Amino acid sequence: MSAHAASHDGHDHSHDDHHHDPGFIKKYIFSTDHKWIGLQYGITAMLFLAFGFYLMMVMRWSIAYPHEPLPEWMSWIFTDNWKARWLQDGKVTGETYNMFGAMHGTIMVFLGIVPLGFGAFGNYVTPLQIGAVDMAFPKLNMVSYWVYLVGGLIMCASFFMESGAAKSGWTNYSPLAGFADGQIVNQWLAGQTQWLIGLVCLITSSLLGSVNFITTIINLRARGMTWMRLPFFVWAMLVTGFLLLLAFPPLEAAGIMQLMDRVGHSSFFMPSGLFTKSEGLADLSGGGSPLLFQHLFWFLGHPEVYVLLLPAIACVAEIIPVNTRKPLWGYKSMVYSLLILGFLSFIVWAHHMYMTGMGAAVSTFFQTTTVLISIPSVIIITAMLISLWGGSIRFTPPMLWACAFIPMFGIGGLTGLPLAFNLVGLHLHDTYYVIGHFHYVVAPGILFGLFAGVYHWYPKITGRYMSVFLSHVHFWPSLICMNIIFFPMLTQGMAGFHRRWYNGGDAYLDKATAATADGANVFANTVAQNIDLNIVMSYGAWILAIAQIPFIINLFFSWKTGRKVESDNPWNATTLEWATPTPPGHGNFTFDVAIYRGPYEYSRPDCDKDYYPQWEAPKDRQQASADESADKGHH
Amino acid sequence: MEIPYIVNPRKDTGLINSKIAIWLFLASEVMLFGGFFSAYVYLRMGADYPWPERTLPVLPGLINTFILIGSSVTVVFAWVALKLGNWRQFQVYMAITVACAAIFMVLKGIEYNVKFHHQAARLNDYTVVEGHLGYEKDSEGEYSLDRHGKKIEENMIRVVAEKLTFSVKRFHAPWVNEMLSEAKRNGSEIKLAADIKAITEEGGKEEPLAKAGDPLSLELLEKIKQTQIEALEHNAALRTDALRLEWKEAKEANPGKRGWQLASDVNIDMEALKPRLLSEVSSVEFTVDPPTLLLFKPRDIKESPTSSRLRDDTVIDGAMGASPMVFHNLDAIDFQWLVMKAKEKGISPEAAIADSWLMKKSEFVREAWAWHLARNEKRQAELTKDYGFKEDGKTPKRTLTHKELYRLGWKDLGEMGVEKQQVKISGFDKIKEEFKGPNYEARGEKTFPHISIPREEIRHAAKFTPAWNTYYAIYFTITGLHGLHVIGGALVLLYYLVFGRKMFLSNPEWFANRVEVGGLFWHFVDLVWIFAFPIFYLM
Repeated sequence: MSAHAASHDGHDHSHDDHHHDPGFIKKYIFSTDHKWIGLQYGITAMLFLAFGFYLMMVMRWSIAYPHEPLPEWMSWIFTDNWKARWLQDGKVTGETYNMFGAMHGTIMVFLGIVPLGFGAFGNYVTPLQIGAVDMAFPKLNMVSYWVYLVGGLIMCASFFMESGAAKSGWTNYSPLAGFADGQIVNQWLAGQTQWLIGLVCLITSSLLGSVNFITTIINLRARGMTWMRLPFFVWAMLVTGFLLLLAFPPLEAAGIMQLMDRVGHSSFFMPSGLFTKSEGLADLSGGGSPLLFQHLFWFLGHPEVYVLLLPAIACVAEIIPVNTRKPLWGYKSMVYSLLILGFLSFIVWAHHMYMTGMGAAVSTFFQTTTVLISIPSVIIITAMLISLWGGSIRFTPPMLWACAFIPMFGIGGLTGLPLAFNLVGLHLHDTYYVIGHFHYVVAPGILFGLFAGVYHWYPKITGRYMSVFLSHVHFWPSLICMNIIFFPMLTQGMAGFHRRWYNGGDAYLDKATAATADGANVFANTVAQNIDLNIVMSYGAWILAIAQIPFIINLFFSWKTGRKVESDNPWNATTLEWATPTPPGHGNFTFDVAIYRGPYEYSRPDCDKDYYPQWEAPKDRQQASADESADKGHH
Repeated sequence: MEIPYIVNPRKDTGLINSKIAIWLFLASEVMLFGGFFSAYVYLRMGADYPWPERTLPVLPGLINTFILIGSSVTVVFAWVALKLGNWRQFQVYMAITVACAAIFMVLKGIEYNVKFHHQAARLNDYTVVEGHLGYEKDSEGEYSLDRHGKKIEENMIRVVAEKLTFSVKRFHAPWVNEMLSEAKRNGSEIKLAADIKAITEEGGKEEPLAKAGDPLSLELLEKIKQTQIEALEHNAALRTDALRLEWKEAKEANPGKRGWQLASDVNIDMEALKPRLLSEVSSVEFTVDPPTLLLFKPRDIKESPTSSRLRDDTVIDGAMGASPMVFHNLDAIDFQWLVMKAKEKGISPEAAIADSWLMKKSEFVREAWAWHLARNEKRQAELTKDYGFKEDGKTPKRTLTHKELYRLGWKDLGEMGVEKQQVKISGFDKIKEEFKGPNYEARGEKTFPHISIPREEIRHAAKFTPAWNTYYAIYFTITGLHGLHVIGGALVLLYYLVFGRKMFLSNPEWFANRVEVGGLFWHFVDLVWIFAFPIFYLM
């Protein structure tokens, strides 16, 4: 990978370069090839997603059947010792629920979706789409994967420690998180501390990753790949890179300060006169501010939402033009919206903090910016919707997921609007409405987008299609179950169900009066009317788990047995990744890459095919001038 | 395969890859330190205690500032030398840069070390005292040593232990060892108080695990712990199965009913289960014969007059002895916080100070304060003379600050010693004090006396570490992180210096690029210090 290395033979199709055969370990484990690193990210992230999903299933049991022991099919994974320590007569305790809840959020956000969207897709696709041989810093790329893995393992290892894993929510608010596991003599070995150490690793990883991505996109674009000829995917990665680069460090600062609070007994986030049940009057200096943690956390936390979202939108934006055979509608407006979105995402963070009493002026400011940010996101989603109009749509598996993404993400986005408003936010704060809202964004939204990406680029990665039948078996139950799980959450949330009830509201149920549905306690009645939804949602979750089995089968079996692709460009797409051999070898391209036109030139009247790839030189002067005028926006 | 634009810049961006990367990295670093500096502002604005202003020694900080600025210049010279192809000159300038980094870290190390040994305590009435702690001595006047052979500070909780109850699940092995060796040294034995019997097999009989009078040992505790773990696992599995069965039956008997409607009636039949359960031994009791004195660090123990508890849930029954915090030498008396609290309550500062525990108990403090008040009067008179009065002709234009009024720092005490007790101090010692703080040996007990503070008078105590207050917390975090950056940057520059020759010969442009990138980082490190120095040392 150094500049001294012999340069690759321009027409060599084979991907083991005989000049320096890297050997098994260098090729598959400590690989510096962006494609393999992308796959490593993808596989690891999917394993973490599965684990996070499992934690959620246990939680859903506790919510639906708080008095019943976990069934065998869920609890076989635990050792006897773990069960004896963390389950009460086989039931999930509040503490265990908190642990699972905190780790579910952390794993899904930091270890699952960010690495899958940015790490896996970004790594695999970005250099291919800009015509680069690799990332700008291949070794750095490798390091960022390994730091991510180590950070993730550190976090998960804490499940087996005396303290258990972190229990203070994925937001890890102080002073709660500052005191958690306070009984552990060696604070370095407490789950809450491990969480922080893991987080610092993850932030370091994403810092290295984002520096690499941005440098690659700025400097390694192929000849002719001007800014406005970049596929939307690459734009999204660029913006995501900047969000990671600039939004994560303040959380790292907060993480380090909380670490100091825990192991150095400082009081960054500990107010004076703190009194807890377990410790009494805290033996601390005090004088710190819990609100400071929330500011630093959400300064990351909100851009983080877009770090999750943008790769998914990016996948969908690539898939729609390919499968509608027409250009992405409003490419430029989408790009500008994306940039504005990226900028605005830095100044909306405190809408997560309306309940903290930070003051009406501050709330008003953040309420305004939050409403503003819906404009660019609506532009993007609308452009994608309009892109469907008049297209000759092929409902290939990736297109199914992409089509589902739009309304599902739409629900997620629209349910967010009420939360943007200070007054409504106060009522809905920390209820299941919030959970429903952001899960609509993340689960049937972002995850569907990423599934679409898997189905879309799988033929390039493996040279085979994924099974269409299995993808339908995967898609339809997933779509239905997602809605079964998350739609009732909106209802429950408006009825006042709190997000941290480990027993699904059972404790608030006035059982005597609920039986007759005629109680004096209004709230107990509201709970009674909505509590059975818990069971419906839980079944939805478990069936959703079953619905992922066809995907796993599809993913692994199609690798060897799937239908082979007919060409290097099986979807007849226009972007550069399809110009590579299948699968792409080390160094990616087998010809000298030059770019002649924008990324989505479908159904051009002056072209004999219905797609006109970016890398094909114009046949005559007429076509060349058409390319040029398209660049200027006279399409 | 070759990554382009490593040595020569890309035409349209005009940049090499690494330069883009380092600027991006620095942008990220700006956000990181930005987070910390915002935290500083936030904590200082919201502080509910008198923020320590100008509390750090300025001289070493100032020297460090110039050293870092100087090294930023030399690193540029080193780069220029490379561009001119002059390896020798590069070596000289780079060596100076790295040496500057080393000097910076040494000065920083001295500063940290002083802080780590400087004790502070906040009393119940918010008086703050500062100084160094003495060390525990045994009956023959020799220093007592802990098991690591270190002297023990006179800041320990003393308990005359009669009975020890260990939590089988959570006992902390090093502490058990410490108690054992302490007891052995004091000639007393720790023995099991009563027989421990347990059922260790399903359906089995109670069998003795240990007999009364067995001596405490880690093996014994581990053995009981192992039995307990097995019992817990066994019992949990049994109870889970039983509860599952109960639920199955309840649901079959009440079709259509929800779980929450049945929950109160579904219980495990413990009577039926009892014969199959194993015994869970959750704690074991030991007697100490004869009762012996044990010392604990304040953070490890929740003390009370008759029964104290360690953080690993060990309960120590026995009388708590006098556990004062002994300052062997007190070097600052600070009433700023007390006055702040008094003003909140509408009490006059003078009354509050006169009423404080320290003033009542210590002759030295009363004398010192009287001297301080007299001197303050003189200082105020000088201020008034120099700046005059406001328009009303009565209130002076300038008055002494809160800190000058209510804090007697070590420099003030030193001044008093020289003035009242005719303590002599050499010029060299004075300069040394600028770096290392008060010199007890040179100034003696007349200036910095001993004082013993009973445990119950202390509300919060710590070394000058992050635990003492949020000022020191943010100070250590920012300067510590900055120090790590200095070390990291210096290592990279040192690497160029030591291993760069080969690359310089084979590809001088590339090497110059690397040094340039390293130099940019070094400038950033310098820049952070330019911000950190004023906010911690001067403001």
